[in-house]
Amino acid sequence: MTRSISPGFLAGTSILAAALLPGLATAQERVLRLDESAVGEIDPAKGTDYADTVLAVNLYEPLVYPAQGEAGVQPWLASDWTIDGLTYEFTLRDGASFASGNPVTAGDVVWSFERLMAMGQGPASLFEGRVEGVEAVDDSTVRFTLTEPFAPFLSALVQLSVIDSTLAQEHLGEGPYGENGGYASDWISANSAGSGAYIIAEHDPQIETVLVPNPNYDGDPVDPAAPEQVTYRYSLEASTVRALMSRGEHDVTSQWLPPEVLKALNEEGGVHLETEPGGTGEYIMLNTRRAPLDDVNCRRALSLAYDYGTTLHLLTVTEGVAQGIPMSGPMPQGFYGSDPERRAPTQDMQAAQEALAECQYDPAEYPLDIAWIAEVPARERIALLMQATFSQLGFQVNVTRTPWALITQQVTDPETAPHAIEIAISARTPDPDSLAYNMFSSTLPPTWISSTYLADEEVDRLLEEGRSETDPEARAAIYDALSDRLRDLAPGIWAYEANPVYALRNGVSLPNLEQDDRRFAISGYGMLFKDAQIDG
Amino acid sequence: MSPILRLLIHRLALSLLVLAGVSILIFFVARVVPGDPARIALGPNAGAEAVEALREERHLNDPLIVQYGWFLRDLAGGDLGTSLYTRRPVLQDIAAYLPATLELVFIAGLMMVLVGLPLGRLAARHQRRGPDHLARFLSVLAVCTPAFVWGVILQLLLAYVWPIFPLEGRLSTGVAPPPDITGLYTVDALLTGQFGTMLNALYHLILPATALALSGIGQSARLTRSSMIETYRKPYIEMARAYGFKEGRIARRYAFRPALIPTLTVLGLDFAAMLANAFLVERVFVWPGLSRYGVEVILRKDLDAIVGVVLVIAAMFLITNLVVDLIVSIINPRLRLAEKRGK
Amino acid sequence: MSSKTSSVALTEFRSNPLSIIGLVLVALCVGLAVFADLVAPYPAHVGPIGDFMAINQAPSAAHWFGTDTIGRDVLTRILYGFRLSLVMAAMVLAISMPIGVALGLMAGYLGGWVEFAIMRLTDVFLAIPPLVLAMAIMGFLPATLTNAMLAVTAMWWPWYTRLVYNVVRSEAREGYVLAAEVIGASPLHVMTREILPNCAPAILTKLTLDVGFVVLMVSSLSFLGLGVQPPTPDLGSMVADGAKYMPDAWWLSIFPALAIMVLVLGFNLLGDGLREAFDAEV
Repeated sequence: MTRSISPGFLAGTSILAAALLPGLATAQERVLRLDESAVGEIDPAKGTDYADTVLAVNLYEPLVYPAQGEAGVQPWLASDWTIDGLTYEFTLRDGASFASGNPVTAGDVVWSFERLMAMGQGPASLFEGRVEGVEAVDDSTVRFTLTEPFAPFLSALVQLSVIDSTLAQEHLGEGPYGENGGYASDWISANSAGSGAYIIAEHDPQIETVLVPNPNYDGDPVDPAAPEQVTYRYSLEASTVRALMSRGEHDVTSQWLPPEVLKALNEEGGVHLETEPGGTGEYIMLNTRRAPLDDVNCRRALSLAYDYGTTLHLLTVTEGVAQGIPMSGPMPQGFYGSDPERRAPTQDMQAAQEALAECQYDPAEYPLDIAWIAEVPARERIALLMQATFSQLGFQVNVTRTPWALITQQVTDPETAPHAIEIAISARTPDPDSLAYNMFSSTLPPTWISSTYLADEEVDRLLEEGRSETDPEARAAIYDALSDRLRDLAPGIWAYEANPVYALRNGVSLPNLEQDDRRFAISGYGMLFKDAQIDG
Repeated sequence: MSPILRLLIHRLALSLLVLAGVSILIFFVARVVPGDPARIALGPNAGAEAVEALREERHLNDPLIVQYGWFLRDLAGGDLGTSLYTRRPVLQDIAAYLPATLELVFIAGLMMVLVGLPLGRLAARHQRRGPDHLARFLSVLAVCTPAFVWGVILQLLLAYVWPIFPLEGRLSTGVAPPPDITGLYTVDALLTGQFGTMLNALYHLILPATALALSGIGQSARLTRSSMIETYRKPYIEMARAYGFKEGRIARRYAFRPALIPTLTVLGLDFAAMLANAFLVERVFVWPGLSRYGVEVILRKDLDAIVGVVLVIAAMFLITNLVVDLIVSIINPRLRLAEKRGK
Repeated sequence: MSSKTSSVALTEFRSNPLSIIGLVLVALCVGLAVFADLVAPYPAHVGPIGDFMAINQAPSAAHWFGTDTIGRDVLTRILYGFRLSLVMAAMVLAISMPIGVALGLMAGYLGGWVEFAIMRLTDVFLAIPPLVLAMAIMGFLPATLTNAMLAVTAMWWPWYTRLVYNVVRSEAREGYVLAAEVIGASPLHVMTREILPNCAPAILTKLTLDVGFVVLMVSSLSFLGLGVQPPTPDLGSMVADGAKYMPDAWWLSIFPALAIMVLVLGFNLLGDGLREAFDAEV
């Protein structure tokens, strides 16, 4: 198409373009441009998904942070801690201060925790009913007292972002929280008040968040080549990201691009692909409250009929890089209850037919509703793959594209929720409890995380034991037993483990995604912009 | 009272009546459908009490007619309610996103007039000959293709295969937006003398505005053509020909001007279609206008915001048509007389 | 306003090459839609069953228009897309046109408060861009084929009301209407037997043009994710879904886009030809 155009004309137009684009020619700052499919929530007490985590870890600091290259946690805002029975005492890092210049005190930790629990959204459920009290022993010592032994507590603290309470109290606003008014809910959704390496320069939840370095940051070291400005953009179309990347106007793609697009970018050159495995299972949630899937044999039939091989084939980007890795049970690799020795399941239509024969329902009379999340185009294929395979069992299968906002609402009512939805569920803390308990405990209200609606006494008992047992070996055994029980009950299909793939513009590197000894066990925590490196 | 003023007042009163109708229509459509907006707004982890408290606070438990009463009371105070999704006043949200959409629609409207009318004139002058068929075919083609297809094609060809235009956005990275006066970047930049910024904003406007304008260009060309052909049949054109006036002058002075009136009227009606098509084009060019907000609030059943967006769009439509009426009645005294006689 | 006799109209229609092109395109689309089962190379691909080992393949001898993201033949899906679009347009118009025409007749002939109420209601609907109101309605209903058609139907009738109203107002004082009234014909008789036939050319022309516009409207809804659901082969959703894979898998959206263009173009040229031939005001 360009062949018929004279070089002179092309040169002319590019001069015209340069003249009209004053910004591009003079950009000398180190800028990092990324995108995410969801809209960003910057209030750490409200955030739930990937983008929210990325924003929280860059704007705020929790007391402890997931360890790098291994399991467990590492000191972060707290330099040290002691555990004595039900009492956890943390010493804050010397000289820690917020972006405002205010020192970080134990009082800020107490205020942030009370705010989180009062608002009852986001990560609050991790602590619900487990904490008796929290108090400031002195300015740099904070003490949590638990109601009963709770092994996941330390790990859960990675989700407690500490807010500058002195600053926030100037903006409390009106609301239902007594003397705390609105708990600065509106203000913190539009501004940052943390001690993280970056602060908010601009924020529009529809469009983008712009971050700049925090001048008063004194935490974990900042890379000398770290970006001086980060633009985190929302809801870009895949084709737009693709074109921006090849024009060199974007640095890091979101993880939601279809494999073909990543492949095309890779073949074009100019980018390198990096992955962020860890703590995320791609589950086909089976609705255990709706016929015919309230019969375990029908669920088993679907698990056996599921085409695991083609799924992985569809996720392949290039030789050796795929957006998924095989999953052998309900728990992702590296977590208690996962079994690296175990072979991942494969499709077995004959066994599926046998299981179906045991099921009390006739597949011809019970059509299956399968929903897929409209925002992630690649999931349509998985849904259609299920439609194709489950039809072979004799089910009539209806596939519906459903926007995420609508799915979160549908799943609150098991009677009308779809029979099967593919949902990615991430461990929110480096502890198996944050995944297993939220997904399978019958004590929690129905949400998208628990949309199998499993109610099994044995599972509930193991989940409670796993929380209160503090001995690591005993815990490992409990979660192994839980995994076996869940394999038998088949409340979901363990389709594959997510292995998010990002395309990075050459010249930009994210060492936390590139070096095995720098990886974090759970997703989002590796996207510390202070560790990114940008060439001049 | 002058006839034009009377006509205007009459139209204004009708417009207000229509606007009230729109508010009732959209308000009730929004409320009778299933789905709990409070639940969606608070997210999956919120407790039942919090949801109930929000329902109570937003009067969602009251009978419909009472809810409409609350709505009217707030509206009288210039308050369109608060979005459950962004937690900001709807008016503030709309004020933030509308200017980008308006700027796009205005530029597209300008293109429609500046390209569509001459094209139609060309076709009319050469009726049933080569240029006519070509112009008609092109304009029908333009009308027949959805705006989002034009968007995708233009973006692919002119920003990717042959990258002379920006892919998306209102300004290049590194270019600061001008001070917020009207919210239209080109106008604000001009007002504050930042010519570089204005050129940059215009440069970003070209592709999306073209995608938006193409079907309108086709339509205005077709209309101009048929109105001019109508006029060509009138005796005074024959007379002009008999006097030996040049064809170009006849077309310009005697056939084209009267043809402007029906064309303008239809352009006013087309404004509605443009606002709606902007929803599609904005999506392709990641234009930070009303569309993403509109689609998002619709998906989230954010009642106040949906009603607000639809009301504002309907109001824009009515205002545009009032302005068009005014222009038409000024340039055409006959219409004014006819209006007087008709009523 | 006198209509030409049909033979004059026919001659005029025939002499216009664009109208003939329109007629040919419409015949082609309708023919392909009707005989899709016979013409389509891979009729099984209309449903969810694809070939997962042959996804996103460029056009070739086996797949003239390439394959889509789950390995289905794009040409096959376009042919069935024609069928779906035409059926949808026919349904939408079959419901909205009679409603619109009936209301227009009543408003125009009966006058008084009936006229006021109907025409103001029409203004209300016309003041909201059709796509925006259809979107708003789709926001409240589950996105299914039927609901998408309902939403578009709800938007479409006012155009016919306004059209018929204008024709009726100009016809009501004509001699033949007065004559019918004098001999004591009922208002129903006058409306349906005397006035309606004179609206027919305008209605027919508008119907032809509208087939194309309904297709555009439904595909726009689908583009925003509010319309027809997979695996139904809808041209608009094919363009929208394929656009995500631009520019590498260009065949996914370019061919369906061309198909929409051809379909709408055909009906537009045909409608234009009819308008000129009948001299109808639409």
